[in-house]
Amino acid sequence: MAASVPRKIWQTLGAIKTGVILLILVVILSAAGTIILQRPATEPDEMQRAYSPQVLRVLDALRLTDVFHAWWFVLLLSLVSLSIIAASVQRFPNAWRFFSRPYKSPDESFRNALPLHKLIPVKDEEAALSVADRVLKKAGFHPERIVRENSFSLFGERNRISELAVYIVHASLLLILLGGNIDALFGWRGFLTLTRGEQSSQVKPQNGSVRNLPFAIRCDGAGQENYSDGSPKRWWSDLDVLKNGQVVLRKQIVVNEPLVYGGVRFYQASYGKTGKLDRLTLTATPRDGQSPKDLAIGLDETLPLDADTTVRLAEFIPDYVVSDGHLYARSNELENPAAHLVLESKKSGQSINVWLPPIPGLEQNESSPYTFEGKDVQMAYFTGLEVSHEPGQWAVWAGVLVMGFGLVVVFYLVHMRVWIAPVRDARGQLQLWIGGTANKNKDAFEHRFGELVEKIESELKISVEAGAEAPAAVLAGK
Amino acid sequence: MARATVEQPPAATGTTLVVAVGLGVAFLLFMAFLNVVKSGNLLNESNLLYASLIFYSGAGTLYLGFGITGTPAYIRYASLATWAGLIANTGAVAHRWYEAGHPPFASIYEMLLMFVWTLAALTLIAEQKFKVKIIGTVTMPVAIVGVVLMQLLRTDVHPLVPALQSTWLHVHVTLAMLAYAACALSFALAMMFLIKDKMKTETFLAATSLFGVATYLGVLTRFEKWGGFSVIAWNPEEKSEVFLSRGVRLFVVIPDLGWLLLLVLAAVAAPLVLYLVWRKTQNEAFLNMANRAVFLSILLQVLALVFFLLRARDGRYASLDADGLFPTALAASPFILSGLVGGVFVSLLYLLLLWRRSDLERMLPAADELDRITYKTIAIAFPLLTLMIAAGAYWANRTWGSYWSWDPKETWAAITWLVYAGYLHMRITRGWRGRRAAYFAILGFAVVMFTFFGVTYLLPGMHAYA
Repeated sequence: MAASVPRKIWQTLGAIKTGVILLILVVILSAAGTIILQRPATEPDEMQRAYSPQVLRVLDALRLTDVFHAWWFVLLLSLVSLSIIAASVQRFPNAWRFFSRPYKSPDESFRNALPLHKLIPVKDEEAALSVADRVLKKAGFHPERIVRENSFSLFGERNRISELAVYIVHASLLLILLGGNIDALFGWRGFLTLTRGEQSSQVKPQNGSVRNLPFAIRCDGAGQENYSDGSPKRWWSDLDVLKNGQVVLRKQIVVNEPLVYGGVRFYQASYGKTGKLDRLTLTATPRDGQSPKDLAIGLDETLPLDADTTVRLAEFIPDYVVSDGHLYARSNELENPAAHLVLESKKSGQSINVWLPPIPGLEQNESSPYTFEGKDVQMAYFTGLEVSHEPGQWAVWAGVLVMGFGLVVVFYLVHMRVWIAPVRDARGQLQLWIGGTANKNKDAFEHRFGELVEKIESELKISVEAGAEAPAAVLAGK
Repeated sequence: MARATVEQPPAATGTTLVVAVGLGVAFLLFMAFLNVVKSGNLLNESNLLYASLIFYSGAGTLYLGFGITGTPAYIRYASLATWAGLIANTGAVAHRWYEAGHPPFASIYEMLLMFVWTLAALTLIAEQKFKVKIIGTVTMPVAIVGVVLMQLLRTDVHPLVPALQSTWLHVHVTLAMLAYAACALSFALAMMFLIKDKMKTETFLAATSLFGVATYLGVLTRFEKWGGFSVIAWNPEEKSEVFLSRGVRLFVVIPDLGWLLLLVLAAVAAPLVLYLVWRKTQNEAFLNMANRAVFLSILLQVLALVFFLLRARDGRYASLDADGLFPTALAASPFILSGLVGGVFVSLLYLLLLWRRSDLERMLPAADELDRITYKTIAIAFPLLTLMIAAGAYWANRTWGSYWSWDPKETWAAITWLVYAGYLHMRITRGWRGRRAAYFAILGFAVVMFTFFGVTYLLPGMHAYA
């Protein structure tokens, strides 16, 4: 009877040859992905420098510039998963039968076929079996007495789980791939930049869109600590999670120590100057001889100086130059700062422009009722947060743990089985048949089996002597 | 030279070499001690490292003597010297750990320190547990090169940048070192299997030549116009690379070195070509020529190495990207240096095989025993590789919010894992034993080497730390 087409496909998927071919394809294509420059990570102009337009067109058309997100790579990984599933489903029932219904009572053909076995002549079935039982128990083989209609025997084994280990490893690999798939479909990554006191619920993914979070993140402070040689030691940000205006979580994050809320993770990714002012500290001295006072002012902030006069910080330029009577900002670094203060009088409604330092043509410093002196400038710093949502990562970590366990079982746990049955040889002499097998590391097991047999032999002798019977009978059987 | 020594009775040679090496070690230690007494600080890292260099050199000489003559007495003293070197090396590691306050995995220097330590420890384990005595002949010279390389690198304790301050990093790197060491061991064992399995010496000739060609092709990616060779510029005061801008290193061009390396590539490829001609014509003359070509290629390789050492050590060179002249140093090009040294070393190993094959075979365990140990080392390496990748992914997830980003190093680690997975499947389900399994183990190690060196050196990526 010819197999139907779906059945044939299913069989092909489960064949080891298919699996190996698929794995070789994965290897070749991912190697290609590391040699050819990849799109999102490489800037477009660098791509154009590296490849000629024709080559780039071909690479782009074949998706070779973004191998790991190409539809055919995803298809390939899905096929690998299917192949693992097919291979496991096809082979598992057999292994399960073997696992769940172990062969316990050795019949004659099995006894003859088993390569590793030994015969010891004995006097008494019952006594011999109980000695063997004791030895197996001591060796950790958990022996059980098997009674059939016309025979009885002993069966002991260790590490039966070893028979299923391969399936554990394959299942864990599927779990990891599943987690990766979930993240590829439902996960996202983005970036969020905050300055001190600022809050936001909008994350910007790489593709230029905006993602709104159901809660807001506020930055209460951020900073950098340095080693004595000036290299950075630590970056930190104090973050609040706000839901409906309420703080629900507060945490200081550092590199390697993210904040997690609602399945979204916030990582310390960067830290730097915004080029904007945070706070300017000034001393204002009245011209009428009253005592001077200190004030700290932010951009566009208005502070009262006395009952009539207020001061507002209208502009702050961290690095200014004057050219043709105009003021320009040269850079965002705090090199050559200039501050523009506006004094307003409530009564007269007059406003006076004060510049620190005085800039000719713009300043009216002489007409101001106060003189100002800059004390300190605090620039605003931003903290850059990498934001990610990976709902599948738990499957990945679970898969990793299961795989670690599975690999240990695969490589280091050996399923060892021992059968012991009383038999009679051709001359009617009673003997103890001892046979054993292991599913791997066979030579080590042979050694161990030899030790077991020796132990049983010596204990049998002791019990025979203790029973005050002639040992000659035992020796005669040899 | 090597042929002459065999004709003497082995016992006499045995004592002579042991005494000579012993005296050499004692003399060097004494000289070093005199120097140290003046400065007063006996047990610091560089002294300990120097001591381990002396002991490893003694051990290397004795192991090599064993490799050449097969005198069993050498092995005893060689292991003793290795033990002494390992103790000094452990002291250096401990000192470093104490000074830095973190496990020594943060810079190439520290990785090398740990690598040499692991190598020496594994040599002793392989020798005493698995009775693979010849292994020191291969590993000790590598350890010596490692310690010498360390002298060229920046040794001051580097503070860790924030991304590296994680226990998971240490777990990741430790597992990587262990896994790579186990892979290296499986490779060495597979090679020994092939020797024992009567694989033809000519095949080793082709493989040696192929390795040389691959190495020099990799090195020659730095070939510049007009026969120059570009290396990274080095700032001797800072003991660090010169950066053009963030993450972009400045390359300077050493003139004429490129031509020389190209010539060496031709010399290294010659045995392979002659081998192929021999395969086609079956004319033994070509094979003899090929063996002579190996000799010639060793001379040229050493010449290129010396030339590279001299040119890189002094002088200032122009750059294509910036005006002015910049110095460079050996420490700026550890990968090129290890490539060149590795090429010479592998060719020398081939000569050893060519001349002393029967002695080598006599000293090795039985072929199927070697086959089994190869499998066992891979059975150790594979779970370690798995956990190494997992720990790296976990660390990346805590640092960048992504456990897998298909960066070249990650991808190649996954490829390594797949290759060894392939080996295991073929062995377990298809019963691949012997040669085919050995080839697979060798392929696996080649991929490991590419992941370790090739990816850092040839491919772009964010694994900038290692």
